[in-house]
Amino acid sequence: MNTAAIYRKEAWYDLLSILRTPAFVIPSLAFPVVFYVFFGVLFNSGGASAYMLVTYGCFGIMGPAMFNFAINIASDRAHGWLTLKRLSPMPVPAYLLAKFATALVFSLAIIVLMFSIAALFGGVRFAFGQWLLLAVVLLLGTLPFALIGLILGLTLSDKAAPAVVNLVYLPMALLSGLWLPIHMLPTLLQQAGWIWPSYHLSQIGLKVIGMDQGHALSIHLLLLTSSSILLAMVAVWSFKHLTGENA
Amino acid sequence: MLALDVKNLTKAYGGNTVLAGVDISQAAGEVLCVLGPNGAGKTTLILTLLGLVKADSGDIRLFGNQQQGITRSQALRQQLGVMMQIGSLSANLSVYEQCDLFSSYYAQGYSAAELVQLAGLESHATQRFGRLSGGQKQRLLFALALAGKPKLLFLDEPTLGMDVEARQALWHQVKQLRQQGVAVVLTTHYLEEAEQLADSIAVLHQGRMVAKGSPDELKALMQYKVVRCRSRLTDAELAVLPAVLQVSREQQQITLHSRNAEQTVRALLHADQQATDLEVRPIALEQAFLHLTQTPETQQEQAA
Repeated sequence: MNTAAIYRKEAWYDLLSILRTPAFVIPSLAFPVVFYVFFGVLFNSGGASAYMLVTYGCFGIMGPAMFNFAINIASDRAHGWLTLKRLSPMPVPAYLLAKFATALVFSLAIIVLMFSIAALFGGVRFAFGQWLLLAVVLLLGTLPFALIGLILGLTLSDKAAPAVVNLVYLPMALLSGLWLPIHMLPTLLQQAGWIWPSYHLSQIGLKVIGMDQGHALSIHLLLLTSSSILLAMVAVWSFKHLTGENA
Repeated sequence: MLALDVKNLTKAYGGNTVLAGVDISQAAGEVLCVLGPNGAGKTTLILTLLGLVKADSGDIRLFGNQQQGITRSQALRQQLGVMMQIGSLSANLSVYEQCDLFSSYYAQGYSAAELVQLAGLESHATQRFGRLSGGQKQRLLFALALAGKPKLLFLDEPTLGMDVEARQALWHQVKQLRQQGVAVVLTTHYLEEAEQLADSIAVLHQGRMVAKGSPDELKALMQYKVVRCRSRLTDAELAVLPAVLQVSREQQQITLHSRNAEQTVRALLHADQQATDLEVRPIALEQAFLHLTQTPETQQEQAA
């Protein structure tokens, strides 16, 4: 047994299996990109292209992360595939990292697509360092949403998972100011925005281009990191408490 | 050392007893068939043995290691093979790809190509799991269970959905594994399967192992019959008829369990020429097994 080979094969086959599902790939990529083209480029009113690149970028990376984890893990559980793997000598981290790697591939694809559209058609001009930093923020920002997806995938049935992910994804995006700028939301909702990891991620992203709300970076980083740790703990707990045939 | 040693395993779901004190002791190279109708608790038993369902009480040891849930050492995991009744592997991966992935988990297992061969799916190696027939899926799952050349193999209804040829091929493979010293626990509701493969057969009925026996004992049991009739004879008179194991009565309707229906019926008609509504049919297997364990008479007979 070659442990590195297990990690590599898990990751490769997870990605391969997803890429063979056009019904997942096309909406995952098209949804945020079409939104951005529509609101950020076509109906662009001064500076919005840059701002919305960040917010729709966040929106874009959240989707595949949550859906890939939630739906595929719920389905692996429902079909007993995860059970077989857990009984085998497969290291559990190999399974989870494979799914995370797939989410990162999707994030990267969305970043490349949206950055290209922004630069070519949206008239967005950043320094090279800003582009790079923004890409890193979005890639790292995939983690908390992958963890949310993991928790949903470990606790929901395969039938419920897609609906519940939408129920979390879409309101969270709206309430974090990913569709409309956060300052256009009612005051109460603006304050409530603080509870969403996506709000902090978007503010960190906006800080890179100097368009954030002006709170300290350390606060956003602290809240995003601590919520990720909390989510990771819940995920580990859920994994340990899988029982029965759908374990 | 026993491959599988289980003592007094119990499990209830909300007051509903699913396993009621199951004991198993199985050495290497033995095939144990757990036989029982659907809902008898066979799958729950396998899930509990594997730690996927938490037992209420009892002791499970795999190769001497006491089991707690699904947590077990890598060394032990390397020695187990499991085939569950599962709906699907990743529907989008091909037969070869699934084998490649699974074989990578094991230190000294079969290669992907060997697994494809074991499944007998060489001509379908590039076909995706979702497009295989039910029997082909079962064959692939069986091969994956063998991926690590296990010492202890759990097969939950392995031949479900297989055609006759595939079933016989799997039986042949199980017999070979047995010769190689693999301990196999196999659940089935096919009597013939148990008869073909088992060193010992355990009949699970309402969560209880109502009996254990060898296939030969099982064959003898298959001769047992239920004789029903209406007769003026008393219970005491009926009980002394030849080969009668048990007498029960519901108003006029008499039910006899017989080891030899011909003898019983001949004597019955001799003793009561007015007996009517005569009916002879095979005995249900669980009931037959109950006689095996419960009546001293049959036990003596088998010892002889």
